[in-house]
Amino acid sequence: MSKRERERAEEMRTHIELYVEELVARGRTPEDARREARLAFGNPRAKLEEVEAMERLPFFDALWRDLKYAVRVLRRTPAFTATAIATLALVIGANTAVFSLAHAILLRPLPFPQPERLAMVEVEGRTPKGQGRWESHDGTTWEVMRDGATAIDVAVIAGGFGHDVNLVVGGKALAVGQARVGSGYFHVLGVAPAAGREFTRDDDRPGGPAVCVISYPLWQRVFSGDAGAIGQSLLLRGERYDVIGVMPKGFENPGEPADVWTPVRPSRTGEGGGTNFGIVARVRDGHTWQEAIAAMPALDSGFIKRVTGDDVPGFSGHFTLVPLQDTLVADVQQPIVMLGGAVFTVLLIACVNLAVLVLVRGGSRTKEIATRMALGGGRRDVLRQLMTESAVLGLAGGALGLAVGYVGLEGLKALGGATFDQWTHVTLDGQMLAFTMGLSLFTCLLFGLVPALQASRLDVQAALAEGGSRSVAGGSRPWLRRILVGAEVALGVVLLVVTALLIRAFVNLRSIDPGFDPAHVVTTSVSLQDARYKTAAQMNQLFDETVRRLEQTPGIESAAVSLELPYRRLLNMGFKFMDDPDDKGHIANVMYVTPDFFKTLRVPLLGGRAISTSDAVTAPPIVVVNQGFIKLASGGRDPIGRRVRISNAEREVVGVVGDVKVTSSGFFLTGMVKGPITSGPLIYLPAAQTPDGFMGIHIWFSPMWTVRTSSPAVAEAALQHAIGAVDPLLPIGRIQQMTDIQAAATSRQRLLMILVGVLGAAAVLLAAIGIHGLIAHSVQQRTREFGIRLALGATAGGTIREVAMSGVVIACSGAVVGVGLAVMAVRLVESLVSSDYLWGVTSRDPSTYLEVGAFLVVVAAVASLLPALRIFRLDPVETLRA
Amino acid sequence: MRRRQQPAAGGDLLAGTLDMLILRSLHSGPVHGLAIAQDIERRSDAVLLVEQGSLYPALYRLEARGWIGSFWGTSDRRRRVRFYRLTPKGKRQLTAESNRWEALARAVARVMRPETLS
Repeated sequence: MSKRERERAEEMRTHIELYVEELVARGRTPEDARREARLAFGNPRAKLEEVEAMERLPFFDALWRDLKYAVRVLRRTPAFTATAIATLALVIGANTAVFSLAHAILLRPLPFPQPERLAMVEVEGRTPKGQGRWESHDGTTWEVMRDGATAIDVAVIAGGFGHDVNLVVGGKALAVGQARVGSGYFHVLGVAPAAGREFTRDDDRPGGPAVCVISYPLWQRVFSGDAGAIGQSLLLRGERYDVIGVMPKGFENPGEPADVWTPVRPSRTGEGGGTNFGIVARVRDGHTWQEAIAAMPALDSGFIKRVTGDDVPGFSGHFTLVPLQDTLVADVQQPIVMLGGAVFTVLLIACVNLAVLVLVRGGSRTKEIATRMALGGGRRDVLRQLMTESAVLGLAGGALGLAVGYVGLEGLKALGGATFDQWTHVTLDGQMLAFTMGLSLFTCLLFGLVPALQASRLDVQAALAEGGSRSVAGGSRPWLRRILVGAEVALGVVLLVVTALLIRAFVNLRSIDPGFDPAHVVTTSVSLQDARYKTAAQMNQLFDETVRRLEQTPGIESAAVSLELPYRRLLNMGFKFMDDPDDKGHIANVMYVTPDFFKTLRVPLLGGRAISTSDAVTAPPIVVVNQGFIKLASGGRDPIGRRVRISNAEREVVGVVGDVKVTSSGFFLTGMVKGPITSGPLIYLPAAQTPDGFMGIHIWFSPMWTVRTSSPAVAEAALQHAIGAVDPLLPIGRIQQMTDIQAAATSRQRLLMILVGVLGAAAVLLAAIGIHGLIAHSVQQRTREFGIRLALGATAGGTIREVAMSGVVIACSGAVVGVGLAVMAVRLVESLVSSDYLWGVTSRDPSTYLEVGAFLVVVAAVASLLPALRIFRLDPVETLRA
Repeated sequence: MRRRQQPAAGGDLLAGTLDMLILRSLHSGPVHGLAIAQDIERRSDAVLLVEQGSLYPALYRLEARGWIGSFWGTSDRRRRVRFYRLTPKGKRQLTAESNRWEALARAVARVMRPETLS
């Protein structure tokens, strides 16, 4: 029994006892009195049950009644209901879809336990030229960290991740990702191997055993998930390693996806003599971030002198910890911020929409509420019923929003298309969905509260006498509504302007002349990180043989091999001009190519000659340069005939070819374009004339085979056949079309453009819905007035025009304000986001603003006209009678 | 209401007006449950005999609607009893219902008026 029930039972008991006392006082005997009292009272327990039944039902009864009534009421005003639900569905769906995509692709949260405790050890320092962060350390620093750090656990990760490393096991040849890590690496990350063990200090010493840990997918693929994999061996880069551990399913290497981990064996010499190590750390339990960071500078072991020598006077720095999450998302912070702003704007517009809708509606229900209250509905009942309406709206909108979000996400994934395999794993983010739904429900309830409170305080008599539904204007404070809708339009303009600029920038990027013909070119890469390709002669034999076979295949026009390709990041090296009296050092991009490279990619020859088969290893060393070389390295001088010293030999420049675009040169010279696609000075080396010392480059770069073909299927088969025939142990990497690589260079920009575009479209739609709703409601309210006017001789067309104009006027004023806001917003975006995203677009170009403003006014006009057209169907006689 | 020794003269017509009678009882000040029942009996000259237990569902219902409020107090015999009082809303409700009742009673009286025989 609850407290209340107990009190009531007590109350009834006392009642009976009091009565008994009274009866006794009047002369009855105690037994007679008790009997009489009980008869007079009735059965207390029965009464209590009656009370309980009476109280229990009304709650659910009332709720059910409220629900049915709410649905009925909402159906009576379809314009309002549809608008509100559409608003909710749109904002929930659009925001959740966009957020889910952005979160999965750009943010990629760390799948480790307590990821906020993970960090990279970095040096924060300043030189006379500015500030910076350095993330590479040498072996001595590592040993000091390992032995001296008390607040953190540390592990080494070697710089230089192995892409497409040659792995041979069980007769299969694969290209895998290899990471070299120190002992305790997995311990620091917080994930233990699912089978076997990870590296110990013993494994990780110079001269230690050749062991490795493999990933779950690799284990499944190569060993079929067999537990006996532990102890078996495989060939990595032609060298034998024994498998000692398997990582669990779902484990992802932070940064680069790895299939094999091998020991780094850090020491103070060799690799450890230079800054080649990254140090990943975890703050130990029982210590805080602040403690750990505070302890860092003390671990300095004179690294500054070791690393910089005395070449950089004025350098000062100290160790610090940077959260691992930050290091991984450093380059995506800009788009995230922009997206965040867009999402926020859409949310704001939606909330304004909802507010206007609910406020407007509240004002027109006075009579109905007054009647309910007169019929005995308590204030609380009316409030509850109005809140139920808001809740029903919120839930219906939420359910529809889920559907919209799902469809929207699928649509986005389809748009993303072949360029992004990662997109296929994206699903609607549950948290964002819950958040948006919660926010929408809350907004509904909040804005429903205002008119509900107003209404429940009504003077019932006065409201009944007034005859609310026959009033002419309906609703209080029309100016507030108009301002709010105008504000929606303004915000829509801002978002749309940003979208338009992003689109323009993207189009600009896409329409950049690539400098070659990427159509009908198929490429693949093959990793030469193999003990069998240590000399240039071995490499060239492979190249020559495969190219010969390829060019003999019908359907293949020409074939070539090169160190890298356009629209990718190129290798850069230093060189000198032999005729330079100052002996200045220069820097340029470098790649080796086989003779048919320029022909295959159709890079135009602008002067001199291209590389030919006569440029053999015994012939005089030559190079071919690009046009950018003339401007940026040669100082405008014709370079043909000049000699450069590069890669251990003097070489003569014999030709000039056109520029091809790259994604990054790795350096910047004045005159080079800043942005995601650029072009710098480029030196082409004949593959046959590459020195043996150059082979070390294959740790970081894999040579690319290109073929020009009429049919991609033919090319794919030909590449596999040709390379496989010459060396069956070489794993062939991904076969791609050159156009895909070209698209991938602008993939970030495209992603952002699409995401912001979706939000911009949602914003415009919401604003249109808002205006539509406003005008529709106004028409509904003023039906009687229009009837009178039509009866008095006004034309339908004139009335419609007047009504629609009010919507257009609001939109125009909103658009004007919006353009002003947009100018400020774009300037803000420009300062936040580098030229990477707003490429080639000036914020001061007025045409974008004017176009967007005009577009929104047109949309508003249509949105105003549609509901106004109902006036056509008004029969004045009927409306007057109503 | 329950008949005790003879059918209560009020009978079915009064079945729905218990609420109004309770409100009237409370009009002159807070009273506890037993006193309400006795007050109604007394004022009606023992015509309206309330089944005392039925008072409580009515009281709780009236309280839920905000027309009466309740508080613990001590009776004249120094026992802990629950008192009920009229709220301002309840006072308004009493006025409204009493007006309606009077209008109803007058209308019925008019219908039942014997015609003057000439």
